[in-house]
Amino acid sequence: MTWIDEAPSLLLVVGSGGVGKTTVAAGAGLRLAEAGHETLVMTFDPSLRLKDTLGVGAAALDQPVAVARSGPGAPLWASLLDARTTFDRLVKTYSQDSATRDCILGNRYYHHLAGGLAGILEYMAVERLFEVYEEGQYQRIVLDTPPTSQALDFLEAPQRIVDFLDSGALRVAMKPWFDDRGRLRASRIPGLGRGLEAWLDRLVGIDLLRDMADFFRAFQPLFDGFRQRALQVQKLLRSKATQFVLVTGPDEARIPDALFFARRLAEGGYPLGPVVINRVHPEYPGQPPWNSDDGASILAWQGARDQRGVAALRSLLGATQTVVLPQLEVEPADLTGLAEISRRL
Amino acid sequence: MLRQRTRVYTAPRHDSIPLAPTIITTMAPRSSHLRSLRRLGLILVTGKGGVGKTTVSTALARRLAEDGARVLLLEMDPRESAHRLLGLPPSGGEVLECGEGLYFQNLQPRRVIDRLVRERIRIGPIVRKVQASPIYEHFVAGCPGLEELVILGAALEQLEPPHARTTPFQVVVLDAPATGHGLALLAAPRLVSEVIEQGPFGRLAGELATFIGNPERCGVVAVTHAQDLAVQETLELCRSLEAEHGRRAELIVANGLYPALTSDASSSSPTARIWSQRRAANLQALERLAAAPAPVLQLPLLPIDDGPRLAAELARAL
Ligand SMILES: Nc1ncnc2c1ncn2[C@@H]1O[C@H](COP(=O)(O)OP(=O)(O)OP(=O)(O)O)[C@@H](O)[C@H]1O
Ligand SMILES: [Mg+2]
Repeated sequence: MTWIDEAPSLLLVVGSGGVGKTTVAAGAGLRLAEAGHETLVMTFDPSLRLKDTLGVGAAALDQPVAVARSGPGAPLWASLLDARTTFDRLVKTYSQDSATRDCILGNRYYHHLAGGLAGILEYMAVERLFEVYEEGQYQRIVLDTPPTSQALDFLEAPQRIVDFLDSGALRVAMKPWFDDRGRLRASRIPGLGRGLEAWLDRLVGIDLLRDMADFFRAFQPLFDGFRQRALQVQKLLRSKATQFVLVTGPDEARIPDALFFARRLAEGGYPLGPVVINRVHPEYPGQPPWNSDDGASILAWQGARDQRGVAALRSLLGATQTVVLPQLEVEPADLTGLAEISRRL
Repeated sequence: MLRQRTRVYTAPRHDSIPLAPTIITTMAPRSSHLRSLRRLGLILVTGKGGVGKTTVSTALARRLAEDGARVLLLEMDPRESAHRLLGLPPSGGEVLECGEGLYFQNLQPRRVIDRLVRERIRIGPIVRKVQASPIYEHFVAGCPGLEELVILGAALEQLEPPHARTTPFQVVVLDAPATGHGLALLAAPRLVSEVIEQGPFGRLAGELATFIGNPERCGVVAVTHAQDLAVQETLELCRSLEAEHGRRAELIVANGLYPALTSDASSSSPTARIWSQRRAANLQALERLAAAPAPVLQLPLLPIDDGPRLAAELARAL
């Protein structure tokens, strides 16, 4: 029995960019399916790596697609997520009428928000996870989290949405700032008078404010649904149904990231499963040719560096379980390669 | 405590590590890459996560300074790692001098915005009130493009200081975020200036859009590993640069190349097999990269731990 045989229904694979999250997520999915659990692997990876490795093609862009694999076990599904599509769907779900929906989807501010706002992508990932979890179709769900500019964006996204919805910002934005002709109602803000319009205009331009106000007003009926959801999502992420799998590399540059992430998970009350140390080079056999001029000296250096990194991580992580995945001779690019990862988890 | 290590080996001199064979026949002599970079003001370094953006940015800044330019290395990653490559303590947001002509700063957009508010308002209690307000919080966190503008604005200010008393930098090397976020950085001035046409904010956006759009003043360096996925992402980056910005990367840096394994070193051992795999993958990836619309510069994988010596050796290899 290893950790994965006892894994709960939701696995969230986290870690900084370029450490192999997608590969580990796919490997875990394969392993769970082989063990007889019907499993869905979801990824936001923009390079659509999973698509190729699992051989599901672009069809998985819209909905889960079954992975064609032989061997024992339950079905394995893969789904490639897109933040914008998820957000649009959410708006459609919560809009009470088509006018509201069109007003939001056509708003300029929304386009910026849905496309570029930090945290939206991350929030969409958990949002989608929750949706699929609630539907209850799969026994196990593995989520490959999106590459974030900051590792913590992802965990903080639901709380940020709740904070935002609870904050005064919304009440202010919700005021009828503009009259029917689209002019700012300066009289709404006592004591500032008409000077305000000019001031705000100078600062950010009146058009943006108008778009924002329109957006928030159109969005208002949706907020309750959003807020409820964000709270439920948060609860789920901290529940026994969830486990976080933290992926890191063995090199020194990655260690602070991994420790930081592990600490934040612990502080936030999120259940941390194993820390997967990926792409560990083997120790160089025999006497390291430290002074040789060719590649052998790098092999020896990499082996020594990685072993040192693994030892450091193990001692710094204390009781947290670690799983070491060796640097494979061939990078897993299909199901056969993935099996190498999967059986080592 | 992590930084303790015993150096039991002597790393080879850089010129003793053979670079991968030059498959790219169109490759111009190395020095010409540097010349074309040096005439730029802002060099934006981006690429897939973990491929060595920070390392290459630092080496590049160092090299340009060694060649006589006044250079600022600007890091925007809150995880601060460039200082280690320069042998400095974390910068804490200040501009630190770290050698002849070489300066370094870790710049957090949030800190800059807070400073701007302090300068504008000037009255302590009001500043605190503004900054504690949820509206401020969400304006700053939620205003699309604001953070990007602030970073680019800071870079521009260093290149073209508003006060004659400040000495301008000739080059700012910006260690930008990974590909997607890096592209967002480039796109921000134009997007914002489309939405906000007037006011100081709109003017700044317009000014930055012009600056970024000028290929004589601003260039992109894409760092990559010579490896399948990284190359795919780099080629996609080149396509987006062309399609969305009508521009090309100034240079692609293929970093961390495995040199030839020449010694007999138990060639059948698992390590040696990993080696030959990696190297074969490198050569194949370099061939694919040759299709990219930018010159490719190769940098070797050096058996040197993260630190000033790595930056120095790579600066020489540039
Ligand atoms: N040419 C090289 N030779 C040896 N080691 C290197 C080389 N380039 C980078 N490294 C090492 O690779 C690791 C990652 O490099 P770096 O931090 O520069 O990547 P990055 O692209 O900035 O990562 P992130 O996307 O997380 O910001 C570091 O440990 C660095 O020392
Ligand atoms: Mg970096």
